[in-house]
Amino acid sequence: MLSRADNSATFAVGAALAFFFLGGLLTTVVPPMVDKSWSRPAPGLKKYTPEQLKGRAIYVREGCWYCHTQQTRTLVADTKRSGWKGVDSPISTPDEFVYDTPHMFGTKRTGPDLSRVGGKYDTQWHKTHFRNPRDLVPGSIMPPFPWIADKPEELGALIAYIQTLGRAKDWRPDQDYEK
Amino acid sequence: MPETSGAGVRPTNAVPDTAPPVHTDTTAKWFLISSISYFFIVGIIALTIAAKFCWPELLGTVPYLTYGRLRPLHVNGMLFGWLLACDMGLTYYIVPRLCGVKLFSEKLGVATAVLWNVIVLGAVVSLMAGWNHGFEYAELPFPLNLLVVVAWVMYAINIFGTIIKRKYEQMYVSIWYFMGCILWTTFVYPTGNFATDFATGVNQANLNWMYVHNAVGLIFTPIGLGIAYYFLPKSAETPLHSHRLSMIGFWALAFVYVWTGAHHMLHGPISQWLQTIAITFSVMLLIPVWAVVYNFFATMKGQWQQLRENVPLKFIMSGIVFYLLTCFQGPMHSLRSVNAIVSKTDWIPGHAHMALLGCFSFFAIAGTYYIVPRMWNTKLHSEALANWSFWFFMIGGLGFFVTLWLGGFWQGWQWNNPSIPFIDTVKALQPVWLVRFFSGILMFCGIVSFAYNIMATVIGRREYAQ
Ligand code: HEC
Repeated sequence: MLSRADNSATFAVGAALAFFFLGGLLTTVVPPMVDKSWSRPAPGLKKYTPEQLKGRAIYVREGCWYCHTQQTRTLVADTKRSGWKGVDSPISTPDEFVYDTPHMFGTKRTGPDLSRVGGKYDTQWHKTHFRNPRDLVPGSIMPPFPWIADKPEELGALIAYIQTLGRAKDWRPDQDYEK
Repeated sequence: MPETSGAGVRPTNAVPDTAPPVHTDTTAKWFLISSISYFFIVGIIALTIAAKFCWPELLGTVPYLTYGRLRPLHVNGMLFGWLLACDMGLTYYIVPRLCGVKLFSEKLGVATAVLWNVIVLGAVVSLMAGWNHGFEYAELPFPLNLLVVVAWVMYAINIFGTIIKRKYEQMYVSIWYFMGCILWTTFVYPTGNFATDFATGVNQANLNWMYVHNAVGLIFTPIGLGIAYYFLPKSAETPLHSHRLSMIGFWALAFVYVWTGAHHMLHGPISQWLQTIAITFSVMLLIPVWAVVYNFFATMKGQWQQLRENVPLKFIMSGIVFYLLTCFQGPMHSLRSVNAIVSKTDWIPGHAHMALLGCFSFFAIAGTYYIVPRMWNTKLHSEALANWSFWFFMIGGLGFFVTLWLGGFWQGWQWNNPSIPFIDTVKALQPVWLVRFFSGILMFCGIVSFAYNIMATVIGRREYAQ
């Protein structure tokens, strides 16, 4: 095969594409057909409202996702860090994300994971935090976002989106966390 | 294993040299000049975002310059404005020479270069405006994606058109890699930039990671290796150790790479069996890597003394060492136990920069130093400055990689102890980020001395009869 491919561009092209499609199709097209939980929404999952979608677009626009992940992984430390008042957070499952596009799983945790942050802080906290994170958390390196904090409808939308994160699973020990 | 020649007609492992056709190289020149300019400009962006880790309020009130908009600009600018454009420019030089014919069409090539510049400038404007598609490595908005596809087709026509006309029947391994790159990219790029829009959630993420991984594995790796395979024997003036081994490396790469995308979501909300497949194939990546690295080292046998003087060779050989290290790290990260520590930490940018700066940019720089004096029929402005640029990149790069590995590992270790508040793990990394910033300054000095040297070579050239 090596010498055939060596002298015939057609053969080489065919072989290179065959290898590619074998791996490509088996790892991208087949999995969602095998694993239905990728497309079946979790029982508690709600569709985003127009306001929340607007907030989500701001999250995409400002690149929050370069510093924050949205996945509680199958690691004990993750469930504890996403947890609240001593209660471990449930692990993230595919069915919690079926309405997400673009997905915001993220790859880097310069800041903490946000997969269960919905309901952790109230509106006032977020408002102060977006204006300048260091006013609330000294030592933070999160950028200030005064242009969002100054625009009530953007701020409202972004906070509305943040409060949806992780709500598909009802796990918080007491319900009045938003005060 | 050692094997000295191929079919016998013409030694396949000696890069053919005789070039009867007169190459004008207009396209290659355009691509190189613009890519080096972006290397410089985007280098400033890189320093800015590194500084923001140390001084988060820097430029903090300007929306266009916030971290979340400059970071994609840095990544896309370096990947597509600098590295891919430089690599393409080098292939416009290499392929006609390996085929013994003129480039299929210089006009088409120049048009491609112009279009490429339009895309990069469009990317700068749209990313700063916050018009972000929302996928890593696929941030560009839809109209620009379309232009990329058009440019890529133009590029493919030119390269394949040249290969079809070739005078030498047997194809040197570099041509293999370029053909692979062009073909795979034709499918990988639309998967990451268009197909993702038709999926959501985990399914979409899986497509996204397939693209991200293969942007590196099936775009930058084959084109970069093809370039190194050409310039190593050229600049060392010695035949490649084994043509056959290079083919084994190529086909192993073709088979293994595409399966590994899901390793970006290990421990995450994605099916366990898919994670296991990704891990298995990630470990198998060691095979093609070993084939390449062995071949390069065996080629250098008896030639090591050349490293003292020969700047392109220095870049290529340190690039290959970084390639080995990166590709050793990659499979290790994909092991579940290691992944639980290093994933999502600052280790990862250390790893990514070693691949794209330490390895593939080093290859591109080597090629540029080699061909620019030849294309303009002159001598390099300053060998000493070129040597300086090497050491700036090398020391800055090592400072960057090593501090981020140590810092990232430590960070991951702390995260796995939930009794440490998150903000303390941020404060703990401050010194690491400061060292990273200063390493970045050294790397930037490398860019400046490289770019200046090339500029002075071109502008202040004296023609030499060769
Ligand atoms: C440069 C990286 C970076 C970017 C960009 C960034 N953050 Fe953060 N974020 C952090 C860090 C570091 C912390 C932890 C310290 C703190 O609370 O300020 C944090 C904390 C947070 C928290 C509190 C989490 C908790 O559990 O305490 C929220 C909510 C948050 N960020 C939302 C956002 C949003 C929304 C955006 C985009 C508008 C954003 N961040 C952009 C780095 C970043």
